[in-house]
Amino acid sequence: MISGELGWLLLWGTLVGLDLVSLGQIMIARPLVAGTIAGVILGDPVAGASVGVVLELFALDLLPVGAARYPDYGPAAVAAATVAAGSPGMLGLGLAAALGLAMAYLGQWSIHWLRRRNGNDIRRHWAAVEKGDASTIARLHLKAVVRDGFRSAVLTAVGVAVALLLRRYPPVALGGALLLSAAAIGAALGVGSLGALRLASSPHGRWSLAAGLIAGGAWVILR
Amino acid sequence: MKLDQFRAWLRLFTVQGSWNYDRMVGLGLAFSMEPLLRTLSGGKENPRYREGLARAAQFFNAHPYFVGLAAGSLARAEHLGSSREEVDRLRTALVGPLGSVGDRLFWIGWLPLCSALGIVGAALVSPVAGAVLFLALYNVLHLSIRYWTLAVGWRMGPGVAAALGSSVFRRVPGIVAAAAAGAAGFVLPVAAAWLTGDLPQGSRFGTALVLAVCVIVGRWLLPSAGATRVGMAIVAAAAVVGLLWRW
Amino acid sequence: MSLELVRVDDRYIHGQVVVGWGRALGADTILLVDDAVSRSPWEQELYRIGVPPEIQLEFTSVAEASQRLAYLANSSKRAIVLLGDVHTLERLCCSAPVIRRVNIGGLHQAPGRKERLPYVFLSDEEALVLRRLRDSGIEVVAQDLPTARAVPVDELL
Repeated sequence: MISGELGWLLLWGTLVGLDLVSLGQIMIARPLVAGTIAGVILGDPVAGASVGVVLELFALDLLPVGAARYPDYGPAAVAAATVAAGSPGMLGLGLAAALGLAMAYLGQWSIHWLRRRNGNDIRRHWAAVEKGDASTIARLHLKAVVRDGFRSAVLTAVGVAVALLLRRYPPVALGGALLLSAAAIGAALGVGSLGALRLASSPHGRWSLAAGLIAGGAWVILR
Repeated sequence: MKLDQFRAWLRLFTVQGSWNYDRMVGLGLAFSMEPLLRTLSGGKENPRYREGLARAAQFFNAHPYFVGLAAGSLARAEHLGSSREEVDRLRTALVGPLGSVGDRLFWIGWLPLCSALGIVGAALVSPVAGAVLFLALYNVLHLSIRYWTLAVGWRMGPGVAAALGSSVFRRVPGIVAAAAAGAAGFVLPVAAAWLTGDLPQGSRFGTALVLAVCVIVGRWLLPSAGATRVGMAIVAAAAVVGLLWRW
Repeated sequence: MSLELVRVDDRYIHGQVVVGWGRALGADTILLVDDAVSRSPWEQELYRIGVPPEIQLEFTSVAEASQRLAYLANSSKRAIVLLGDVHTLERLCCSAPVIRRVNIGGLHQAPGRKERLPYVFLSDEEALVLRRLRDSGIEVVAQDLPTARAVPVDELL
């Protein structure tokens, strides 16, 4: 791996980590985007997109409602794409998805940590905020955004470092890699199906889902 | 849009930046509203400038794309000289509805719809085309809503409830969710075919088996666990087996 | 019995309630119990926007709530009851014996309150109210979403 690529990966992972909550929410944090662009950086967009799609199917389950906790798939997809890039066919996909899911879970905890730190910081300066001091408000707020940038950068660095180790010392043999890929794709489709069923609980959703399934199935068979 | 409103609009992109469990996006709301309070008569010397900021920084939460509506209408209420009690009641009453509308319209409607179309694009056209299609489609509505919420909040001030026209926001999310269900239905077989295209026959059988197990466990055996946790547990178990499998 | 959920949440109607619980319980009715809101048309208008058309939203004052609750509990409706604070909860529990189980879904930072869970902040006095309710035989748990752990009230006191 070239050090320039590493730098771009770190920058991209930090941006998508920030996008999830703190800055923008234009949804570059979605694994489809985060993984595909990481794949482009690594010269293998197809591998990046495949692992991105696997994680994106997982993300179809999400309900980021209110304060609920949710996995952070952005930096995770960057790490996962780093594992998958360059491996033949779908062989690296399972291992990549497994690392991606573990990192997404770690990301969830890092968000919890971040929110605690934000709360502590604001509580310490609350007297000034209650006086309506604009510069304190701006400083506390922007510091918290920078803190999330730090969180995202560390998360990406850890993920990419583990990914490079996994590429260097592959822990699974051919049979294991196939098994893991099959399981990861199956689980992703399963979670996606459960998400689709949940979407279908709206009034006309059931018919819409059935129509979509038939059309998609027909497309696959007729092509 | 005037310069102060444009500033507030830009700041609203960071509105969740200081999210915390105590007051959630309260501080973000105060930060985003600040440019709109500068234009109070007398500017920063007007006592309502500081009072308004302090009020805004109290507990607040809503869908991030809809916080602009609160920022606009609360700032306008300060300009109009509404009483402290009126501003507080307005803020409290905006929390839940703006969260609910946003969650239903975006998180369980427009986002999964665009996501499914993006996956279809990646599988049928090209990886980059899928990602670009998703981003472009999603953000047309996202950025329009961000613009509209701030503008209507500022224009209507404390009377913003009437402007929301409840029937549109009650009905549209359901229609979008139904469309998302259809798109999700279409994407499942397409993604399955694309992802398993290179796998040998035996592995494809394994994929189908895992898919079935995941749906049965997530839907009927352990629905309270949540689909993500069920899927993650299956992949973790497969990873352990895969690491031990030595041929 | 079809009081599916009696929930204390200072945000009343929001995503967790409508999307999280509403879907999971198949609710068709939400009863919002609050004296000020039951007198304020513009606030009702706002709350209505947050509720999908297939769910019926009703407003009532605390005094009139017990009658409505008795009706809902014996009807075929699947109802979610929302309250804004624990004092209202205690008043309601005294007048409406149909309430056997209560969910603390979200009470946020305010002067005098201490954090008990990330989404539950209580003052000492409010904790005392919950203790009294528990001692009178009502099951009190804290739970933000259906997929989260139901935390028994003893862990909050």
